[in-house]
Amino acid sequence: MAATRTASRACEIFTTLEYGPAPESHACALAWLDTQDRHLGHYVNGQWLKPEHRSSVPCQDPITGENLASCLQAQSEDVAAAVEAARASLENWSTQPGAIRAQHLTRLAKVIQKHQRLLWTLESLVTGRAVREVRDRDVPLAQQLLQYHAVQAHTQEEALAGWEPMGVIGLILSPTFPFLDMMWRICPALAVGCTVVVLVPPASPTPLLLAQLAGELGPFPGILNVISGPASLGPVLAAQPGVQKVAFCGAIEGGLRLLIQEAVWDETMRRLQERMGRLRCGHGLDGAVDMGARGAAARDLAQRYVSEAQSQGAQVFQAGSEPSDSPFFPPTLVSDLPPASPCTQAEVPWPLVVASPFRTAKEALAVANGTPRGGSASVWSERLGQALELAYGLQVGTVWINAHGLRDPAVPMGGCKESGSSWHGGQDGLYEYLRPSGTPAWIPYLSKTLNYDAFGLALPSTLPAGPETGPAPPYGLFVGGRFQAPGARSSRPIRDSQGSLQGYVAEGGAKDIRGAVEAAHQAAPGWMSQSPAARAALLWALAAALQRREPNLVSRLERHGVELKVAKAEVELSVKRLRAWGARVQAQGCALQVAELRGPVLRLREPLGVLAIVCPDEWPLLAFVSLLAPALAHGNTVVLVPSGACPIPALEVCQEMATLLPAGLVNVVTGDRDHLTRCLALHQDIQALWYFGSAQGSQFVEWASAGNLKPVWVNRGCPRAWDQEAEGAGPELGRRAARTKALWLPMGD
Amino acid sequence: MSAHQQGTELDLSWISKIQVNKPAVLRRAEQIQARRPVKKEWQAAWLLKAVTCIDLTTLSGDDTASNIQRLCYKAKYPIREDLLKALNMHDKGITTAAVCVYPARVCDAVRALKAAGCDIPVASVATGFPAAQTHLKTRLEEIRLAVEDGATEIDVVINRTLVLTGQWKGSDFIKTSTGKETVNATFPVAIVMLRAIRDFFWKTGNKVGFKPAGGIRSAKDSLVWLSLIKEELGDEWMKPELFRIGASTLLADIERQIYHHVTGRYAAYHDLPMS
Repeated sequence: MAATRTASRACEIFTTLEYGPAPESHACALAWLDTQDRHLGHYVNGQWLKPEHRSSVPCQDPITGENLASCLQAQSEDVAAAVEAARASLENWSTQPGAIRAQHLTRLAKVIQKHQRLLWTLESLVTGRAVREVRDRDVPLAQQLLQYHAVQAHTQEEALAGWEPMGVIGLILSPTFPFLDMMWRICPALAVGCTVVVLVPPASPTPLLLAQLAGELGPFPGILNVISGPASLGPVLAAQPGVQKVAFCGAIEGGLRLLIQEAVWDETMRRLQERMGRLRCGHGLDGAVDMGARGAAARDLAQRYVSEAQSQGAQVFQAGSEPSDSPFFPPTLVSDLPPASPCTQAEVPWPLVVASPFRTAKEALAVANGTPRGGSASVWSERLGQALELAYGLQVGTVWINAHGLRDPAVPMGGCKESGSSWHGGQDGLYEYLRPSGTPAWIPYLSKTLNYDAFGLALPSTLPAGPETGPAPPYGLFVGGRFQAPGARSSRPIRDSQGSLQGYVAEGGAKDIRGAVEAAHQAAPGWMSQSPAARAALLWALAAALQRREPNLVSRLERHGVELKVAKAEVELSVKRLRAWGARVQAQGCALQVAELRGPVLRLREPLGVLAIVCPDEWPLLAFVSLLAPALAHGNTVVLVPSGACPIPALEVCQEMATLLPAGLVNVVTGDRDHLTRCLALHQDIQALWYFGSAQGSQFVEWASAGNLKPVWVNRGCPRAWDQEAEGAGPELGRRAARTKALWLPMGD
Repeated sequence: MSAHQQGTELDLSWISKIQVNKPAVLRRAEQIQARRPVKKEWQAAWLLKAVTCIDLTTLSGDDTASNIQRLCYKAKYPIREDLLKALNMHDKGITTAAVCVYPARVCDAVRALKAAGCDIPVASVATGFPAAQTHLKTRLEEIRLAVEDGATEIDVVINRTLVLTGQWKGSDFIKTSTGKETVNATFPVAIVMLRAIRDFFWKTGNKVGFKPAGGIRSAKDSLVWLSLIKEELGDEWMKPELFRIGASTLLADIERQIYHHVTGRYAAYHDLPMS
């Protein structure tokens, strides 16, 4: 018996009362790696795939550096094989009744429950995260996600009638992701009937384990396929025929920014430092440890940030001291960082917290909203009114009040600004993988010849083309509530169906777009704060005005070659649409009930901000109104580029808007569509862009909008049946015209 | 027991400013039970520490001199000698912190402890335990008599009428409850109390002790309580001077755990001396 050794130690410990290690064995993780001979391949169509002649990358323990296994680096053929497998199983999977899919997901949840120790041990071992985090938070949440989405699958036929699964979904994960991020995305995709191909960075065994558990379940082997390969294969995945959507999860730094009101600065800092002193860093697989390590790269990043912050005059508090060569980075509190320093703008790396003071709630809001990040935030205050005011004002996807980091599968999680515009969890998460029934599948179209630098750059010169025949259309760019002359001081001719000149419209350019967006931003706060009833009233007034203008509008459309009957119908339908959207304006929010929380979680719908719309050429009046109405109804301000061939009906509508609507609410800029599209897509302060034009234009819009990650909606050159209720006034328009915010209100006293 | 502290002027504004974020407290309470497992020789050492913090209690209607004597003997020898020897702790004077009895049994306890040659204090519950709904005169007399009989610590039950009308008193220790309620020592309650102790210490420099009582039966629980104190207040509070556990059956479970640590086997009920 090793009594004497432990005996002397017991004596010592009796005095010091230190914690001691509580190590979890990683034997099961190593045993699983051994079943693959420590050489992991890909998992495709229910089987391990280990193609030859592939390079491999070692998977190392981030704390000890020990080599655990080697993982293959995929090549394009592997990606193609995986997509093929996903496509082959799509037919079967998506046509199953929802109840069958629900059953399958529930079985997967049970399998995870049975093998949870292996899962959490492997994840903790490979990523270095504290095992208690993975065991107590991630794994149960993964099971809950599967259960929740099983329920959604079960009720899909009734609840989501009119929507069908998109098809094969590609998922690209970043090197620092936890496997839970993958679960957030594959659960809704699988539940609604899509099949998934996941591209993980090499040296990520946990997704492969999950794929194996899913694949061995039985009848649907090809629904989840995992390939490990470099990020350069991302475009390959996106370009595969059959892949309908690619979800990309970027790297998330784990640091936090803390804004503390000056009056409670000292108290808060004291308590924070006291608590930090109690945090324990250690090997991830030690059950008594709060934080593990995330590898050398993360450590160096944190160190660099701290050194830079110090050189910029910040105070740094670190609980405990680690030798500089240790893989662990202690929890660090940075304060007194000057607001103008580059560190304040940069993302805070894990495990740092940057604390800054503020004087008033208004200042705090400005500081918090003054970053390009829009993920989540928590507000701590005893005053409910103040907390709610801040919660509503913060430009983020999730707000917790007097809590932080709470997650539930039923509550949508997402963001705005540069945190992306897609959602996981809740109903919003489901819609990411659905499209309206009957929409044709998207064929990937990538014009290799499209020159992004040249598209829409040149402004063609327009020359006079003779006298106008018939009544002159309203002239100018409708910006800031009135008609203004274009910056370029030139005009373009609009011809009617006979070829004769109907009139001239202004040639808008970059400066005009800038002015229009500015005017829209100025009008935004006022419009956002209008009550739903006020917005409805305005839309109804506009509808009435349009009705009065009917003869005028009909004649414009007739000159464009539209038959009298059709033109009348178009105007009538436009009026009806305005009234319909007016009626649909309600503050859309609902309270969700969450499993482990007492208290409501509110799902709020908020305006996006400034919405830019490039209207299609078909249905020049109806499409214009059908796009304008939902955007306004949801509280956005708008910049529109009307139909190129027939912009005059839109200008007629502007004449009514000039008297009825607040200035800047709606702005209409005519001109060369490609050029204006370019200006809008490259503009960093537009919150969303809807483009209905050419396929090339669509491609450009998607490429350019990545600059500020604004959500885009493009038609890829396909005309839309605007007169049909489903396409012209369906729920899809309403969904895209606003964004969601989850507001958590834990209760208890 | 530490030296009697000076205390401070009663400042009711301190109380009115208190805010408790209950959902957060509940979350912390849940966390604390899972976050700091203590294993092997660390566990053995911590359990011995827990033993030295126990107020070995008997508060039954049928207490007599004989069971008091057994209790006091157990207080002096809480863990079997050979087990302590195996841990090399047999000469460290491991006893419980105190013995806690009803006022009428203080005499018996003092006599039994003297016979066992043990100098640990006798604590008495007093002031109309457990409801404290007796006259002030008798409550004070109870305390006087207990002290006369030899008690050196008194567990006072506060007058809840006074509390509900905002008239507070000070003390050296705060205790979660009498131990006779339906809900006694729970972690959320403890967290709030410990934070209050910490705030008081930060404001005045005075250290107030903490005693959870009622419902603490398993050795695992005692470890969680110790780690809670360590996390919230720090190592200085993990001593009998500032931390007591009011318990009776806890000791048996701790002894069983130590038996398992030393021998690798699970003890039968009759393997260990009863208290």
